[in-house]
This record gives sequence, C-alpha cells and structure tokens, in this order.
Amino acid sequence: MPPQTFGKAINQALTQAMELSPDVMVLGQLVDYKSGVFGTTTGLVERFGPERVQDFPVSEGLMTSAAIGAALVGMRPVIVHQRIDFMMYSLDAIVNWLSLMRFKSNGHSNLPVTIRAIVGKGWGQGPQHSKSLHAWFAHLPGLKVAVPATAYDAKGLLLESIFGEDPVMIIEHRSLYSMTEDVPEAPYRVRFGHAHVRRRGKDVTLVAIGSMVPMALRAADQLASESIDVEVVDLRTLSPLDDGTVCESVSKTKRLVVADPAWRSVSVAAEIIALVSERLGDKLLANPQRICFPDSHTPMSAPLEKEYYPDEARMVQVVRKASLE
Amino acid sequence: MNHETILKMGRYRELSLKDADPGVVKNLHRFMLRLRRCEEALIAEYHPADEMKCPIHFCIGQEAVPAALSVVIKPEDYLFSHHRTHGFYLAKGGPMNSLFAEMYGKATGASGGLAGSQDLSMPSVNFCSGAILSGATALAVGAALGFQRQKKKHVAVAGFGDGASDEGVFWEGLNYAALHKLPIVFVCENNRYSTYSPQFKRMASENISERVATFGVTARTVFGNDVMACTSMLREMVEGARAGRGPYFLEAFTYRMNSHVGPEDDSYVGYRPKEEFDFWQQNCPISLLEERMVEQNLLSAPEKEKILKKINSEIAASFEFAKKSPFPGNAEWSKLNYSRGSPLADQLLKDCELKEFNQNQADTIPGPY
Ligand SMILES: Cc1ncc(C[n+]2csc(CCOP(=O)(O)OP(=O)(O)O)c2C)c(N)n1
Repeated sequence: MPPQTFGKAINQALTQAMELSPDVMVLGQLVDYKSGVFGTTTGLVERFGPERVQDFPVSEGLMTSAAIGAALVGMRPVIVHQRIDFMMYSLDAIVNWLSLMRFKSNGHSNLPVTIRAIVGKGWGQGPQHSKSLHAWFAHLPGLKVAVPATAYDAKGLLLESIFGEDPVMIIEHRSLYSMTEDVPEAPYRVRFGHAHVRRRGKDVTLVAIGSMVPMALRAADQLASESIDVEVVDLRTLSPLDDGTVCESVSKTKRLVVADPAWRSVSVAAEIIALVSERLGDKLLANPQRICFPDSHTPMSAPLEKEYYPDEARMVQVVRKASLE
Repeated sequence: MNHETILKMGRYRELSLKDADPGVVKNLHRFMLRLRRCEEALIAEYHPADEMKCPIHFCIGQEAVPAALSVVIKPEDYLFSHHRTHGFYLAKGGPMNSLFAEMYGKATGASGGLAGSQDLSMPSVNFCSGAILSGATALAVGAALGFQRQKKKHVAVAGFGDGASDEGVFWEGLNYAALHKLPIVFVCENNRYSTYSPQFKRMASENISERVATFGVTARTVFGNDVMACTSMLREMVEGARAGRGPYFLEAFTYRMNSHVGPEDDSYVGYRPKEEFDFWQQNCPISLLEERMVEQNLLSAPEKEKILKKINSEIAASFEFAKKSPFPGNAEWSKLNYSRGSPLADQLLKDCELKEFNQNQADTIPGPY
C-alpha cells in the first residue's frame, strides 16, 4: 500500500471509477485543467476525453439539475464544487429533486449522483468561501452525506458513492488534502453508516467529524501524557449515521465530547448529544460537550480567524474538563 | 465586436479626445494611474511579509471601466461588484485607507477586516460586493427596484465579468429589469476568461450583448480599454437609466494582466495565447489615453511626475495607516451577526400579550387547492 495524499487518493478514485464504468462522468469548473481542483481531477481529461470530463460553465444550478437528468437515464455523474458556497445555486435541485426522487417515484427512480463539495479555511477565505454546511444536508432525507477525514476514506467513500444507488454529498475539507496515508491501489469500498474508532480509550469518547479528526487524535495523544485515555470515533458519514458505534463507545466511557467543524447551534454535534442523551442520559458521568465554531460567519481578519476556529489547545481543555468532571 | 475581431486590430488607434472636457480627461487619467499604482503597490507588498492574509483578484489592465464609472455615477447611486472589487470600490469613492486596511484585516478596513478583498463592502459610499458569482447583479436589480419605488432618480450599477453571465440568476435579473424598466446599468467587463476557462468553452456564441438585447434591454459593446469610449457610453446609459429609459447593458472588452487570483504570472497554465497577452499589453488603457493627451498638450512628463508623486504619497500613507491600525479586538460573535435592537419596531409596534390560543384553528376548512 503506497502512501498517498488525500487529494491524490480522490484522483485515483475518480480515475478508477471512470475505468470501471463508461457511465461515470466528471463535471465542474476547471476539472479539465492540470491544476485540476486541488489536484483531484488532474490527468482525467487526457485519459477519458472532454466528453466525460467537462469544464462546466459557471452554472451550478444547471450542473446539478443536468446531473440529475443524466442519472435518470443511466449515467453516474460526479460533480465538483471548488467551494461548497458556490453550490448554493443548486439548492433547489438538491432539495426539491435530487433528495426526493426515490421517494416520490415510489422507489422506481434512483439517482446515483455524487456531489463533491470543498470547504475552505484559513488565510482569509472569508464568509463566502468557508461555510461548513454538512448539517443542512444531513438533515435532508434521501441524501447521503460523507465527511472523510483520511485519504483511505476519501477514496473508498467516493468509489462507494459513485457505484452506489443513491445521491451522495461528499464534503471535503481543503486542509486535509495534503495529509498522507497508506491507500490500497485497487478500487475498494468504504461503506456508509460505519463510524471508525481511530483510537481506543476508556475515559472519554471524543466523536470527531472531518477536519476535526486529526486534531482529535493529536489532542488524545497529548491527554494520554496526563493519563487521560481518550477514545476517538471518526463518524465518516453523517447520513446514514452510525449511532451504534457512538453509543457503544459512550456506554463504555460514560463521557462524551463532540468535535464538529461547523456552527454550534442545530449542528450534527447537537444531534449526537441528543441521541446519546435519549439512550444513555442516565449513565453519563459528565455533561456532554461540543467543540464547534461560534454561531457566526467566518471573519477574514487573521487574528479573528484564529479565534474563530477551535484549536488543539481548546480541544484538550474541553476534553480534559469533561473527563475530570 | 468580440475578442476575435479585437485581436485583429493591432494597436488601437481610435481613442479620441474630440469634444471631451479636458478636466474630465485629466480625472480619468488620474483615476486610472491611481488604481494601477494601488494594485502595483499591493502586489509588491503582497507576498514578502504575508501580512495581507487574503485572496486578492487584481485588476491591472481593467482600469478603464471603473475610471469611466467614477466620472459618470453620483454618490447616491449604488454600485454592486463581483470579487474583482478594487476598481469598482475606488470608482464609488471608497477611501484608499479603508481599502488597504481591509486587505490587512484591520478594524479600520472598509468591512472592519471581516470580509477581505473579495467581499469588500462600504455602505457609506453605496458600494457592495461579494464573491458568489453573479449574485450581486441580482442585488443591483433589487436596488433599482427600490429606487424606482421610492421615486428616486438614482441608478444601480452592476459590475461583473463574462463568467458571471453563465449563471441563471443573471438572466432572471435581466428579464425582470427589462419588464419593469428598472434604472439599472449592467456593466460586463468581458476579459474573456472565467478563471482559466475561455468564453468559447462556456458559451456557443461569444457575444453576450447580442443575447442580452433579445431580453428587451439596450445592449452595446465597447473596446473596454478606450476609456473615452467607455465614458461616453456609460454616461449615456447612466443618464438614460436616471431618466427612466433603463435598463442598459454594456459589454466592455478588456483583459486582466495578472493571474485570476493573486499577482502571479500564470502563463505556465497555457490557457491564453502569448499573442493575445501581448496585444493587450500593447493596448494598456492608460498608455492609450496618455498618447492622445500628450498630442493634445493635456499631459507632459513633469505633470505626470507630479500626479504620480501625489498618488505615491497617498499610497504610502495608506500603507502606514493600514499597518498601524489595530486588528479587530476579540470578537463578540453574536453581536457581529444580529442587531441588538429594533428601533423601527419599537417605534411602530406594540408588545402584545397572547391571551388565548385557538386550538381549533388547525381544523379550518382548507381552500380549494
Ligand atoms: C457561484 C460561484 N461559482 C464559482 C465561483 C468561482 N469563481 C470565482 S471567480 C470565477 C470566474 C469569474 O469570471 P468572470 O465573471 O468573467 O470575472 P473575472 O474574474 O474574469 O473578472 C469563478 C468561476 C464563484 N466565486 N461563485
């Protein structure tokens, strides 16, 4: 298994998917340039031609609707957004059509559409390039939502999505693209609805999403030196959500902290805490905690940005407090 | 006119100062020089210390349209722009100090350091921008609607690029503006590229204005580096819109000299032919105007020196202001996103106690639909 960056793993998944099926096509602004959306689509057009790898006009609404139409007649389109913010023009297509088709056709239609949406962070991305909206989409029935944190998952979830039967939104965090990991060469699948326990521990469960996962592992290492044994659960997919693995972990540790890279209120973090409280509320030894962004748009100014995004030190502090309570 | 035909022109010879007010010509020239020097100065400072921690879309080469707007719109008009904001911001009279301070993320920036270059806004000078492509063109339609309803003789101007016209919301706005004869001028700086993607990869026909005209909107094209032609066309359009004859659409063919974002030379990407780049470099809007000004004795070398000296000292002062300004203090996030009071509601509304809840109201007979 050669080590691979997160970005390269996505590139490999797309290449292999296009080799495996002629129905796979990739649409998105600049997907056919060398720079290829942070390197994830580099080389595809040379290999598969401009009919299958298309630089789409700046028409995100149409892009999603067209992908839906293409999927209805048998294609398996992957669409790519440089920022999730740009995808907002397709909300109607996603909410009123894509997520609804299987339901309203009584199961006769299905839409294997994969949407890759990238979240920006840091260096003044500002309020229109940095939104983390996974909670919105996880709220919507009929749409699967994945937030990969590792190169291995990025490849496996993408392939599973492309060859699955339902629409999927994969939310990729730009800060993860350069992270490396051993990734199998062969096409493989990572199933939805299976969280992964990335670190075993007995004192406190730290549930982490996407870009919070590497931070959670570093925080856990640091806390280990204080003899606090943290179990880190990487959710991987938010819809379907693996409540079983989360509850199993919390049953053992009896303490819960959720690290969700998104606004705090009405977040996936809130949902995790709600479901644990419903099932295990009487067993908890401490109040569950969330590590999220403030309920505010992202500031551009560097010192405010630093304050806005939770860092490792803050995470260590919250988890330490929860584990000592 | 389109990019293909323009490339065949060689050096552009048509810029004319005939009938032009020398004062206006000098203002246009000063504006373009000031904008160019601003961008060059920001570029020079951009990387070395990495103090401007934000993406910037520079507009070197595209000075003529903002310059023209600066002399034809009034303070009470509203200007909406896309991510390439600096020229439009200065055209609206936004101060250089708060522009620079915004790039540095300082509290004294136009948006208090919260937004940065691509989301820069300054309500006090009626300027608004945003990085979501084409979105601001639709906001401009709304501003024009407001002006019309308020019976104000103000004009909304939307500045954007050819890429923005890929978006559906642009055409929806155009249709609506035509339907209601709104006082709006759409100004499309067609620089041929959406990031790296040329127009012919995104549209079957290159000329956007021909399509716009079919919506019932007066649409024209202009060589966008001829600041005099841009000014006279935009003057006619803004005055027409002010008089209730709008909407208007101007397609100004121009070119950006730097990379899409950041100051880099992106020729290695290979998306634009060298001849094209050279053509536009030879047709820099500033040198085209200067050539004529010198001929007409409107500009001499010492005069230009004097202007540059003034601009450079303004720029130096703005850098000093920006660098010395404080960063925003620790944020009170909730106050940044919601208002703390409702003065108009306080004035117009009463607090009302809900005495009882009509539990039957959910059973009222539904309508025929
Ligand atoms: C809705 C949306 N989609 C995509 C983008 C990414 N993007 C930023 S600028 C740009 C190209 C804009 O081209 P154009 O409108 O011609 O303006 P120019 O940059 O050439 O001045 C794109 C695609 C965006 N900002 N917003």
